[in-house]
Amino acid sequence: MSEAQQDLNRDLKQLIIDALGLEDISVHDIDDQQTLFGEGLGLDSVDALELGLAIQKRYGIKIDADAKDTRSHFANVASLAAFVTARQAA
Amino acid sequence: MITFDISQWRAWAPGLQTPDQWQRWAVGETVSAEADAAPDVSFLPALQRRRLSHLARMAFAVGWPLAEGLQALPLVFVSRHGETPRTFSILCELAEGQPLSPTQFSLSVHNAVIGLWSIMRGETSEMTALAAAGDGFEQGLLEAAGLLHDGAAAVLLIVAEEQPPEAYRPRIDDVPFAYALGLLITPGEQWQLRPSAAPASAVSGQTTPHALSWLRASLTRQATLTHTWKQRTWTWQRQP
Repeated sequence: MSEAQQDLNRDLKQLIIDALGLEDISVHDIDDQQTLFGEGLGLDSVDALELGLAIQKRYGIKIDADAKDTRSHFANVASLAAFVTARQAA
Repeated sequence: MITFDISQWRAWAPGLQTPDQWQRWAVGETVSAEADAAPDVSFLPALQRRRLSHLARMAFAVGWPLAEGLQALPLVFVSRHGETPRTFSILCELAEGQPLSPTQFSLSVHNAVIGLWSIMRGETSEMTALAAAGDGFEQGLLEAAGLLHDGAAAVLLIVAEEQPPEAYRPRIDDVPFAYALGLLITPGEQWQLRPSAAPASAVSGQTTPHALSWLRASLTRQATLTHTWKQRTWTWQRQP
């Protein structure tokens, strides 16, 4: 993984922690491949909306909540990073 | 007139948490206050706790120990002003043309606290969120008495008020500090509460929040207490 990718992953983890008020965990507690919603980190649907908003604000990209692949983009930090990178390049 | 027993109580204000601290406060002792102390809700997992506002934390801190071990406990939640910090923050985002935080928005409504209570306790009994004016405490007791009359073995009453954001303070004069009071109400004759038309000479308003004035009267074993709000006078009487 390139340094830029590692930075983006870490930034996304920090964004998740800050936007969702996960006061008791740090970026080191979230694995790149860890499931974010339901199982894994245990986030719920309100968190999904909140995180979507935070990502749109932070990276200046649009997210279509109804698009059927949005769910897979939000699966884990690695998939979110790939999504953000692709959108920023577009 | 309604009658009821108060089988347990809890209260929270900055620096005042334990029954012993409140007892000393009631008789006028200065209680050393850690003004920034937060209500203790460490009994909740962090993932649930993070969404609780200060108002919700106070309500949970006083209500949770009272609900311990009780199944199917209806709840009456009373707050005159509600989640003013959340409301203000949402209005600021709106004014700046920013998208609203879904979390803030979903938790700003008046029944958010009872919704969270229901989810976190797995409690599906009747729950009511009231915003009455200056006599919300008594209005909440009327509601609780109704639930007892309907067959509930006990009703939890929680009164909570949060310090408003600076912008609202000129218009909110009855919350000198954040506080919450929780009462476990059960059927009985220990207390009588009677509403009547206020005499023309009666003056409404008080400097201490009314729920706390009541707590002081109760802890100092006062037999009666009256509280007038606009056209209504409430008379409290305690059986000896």
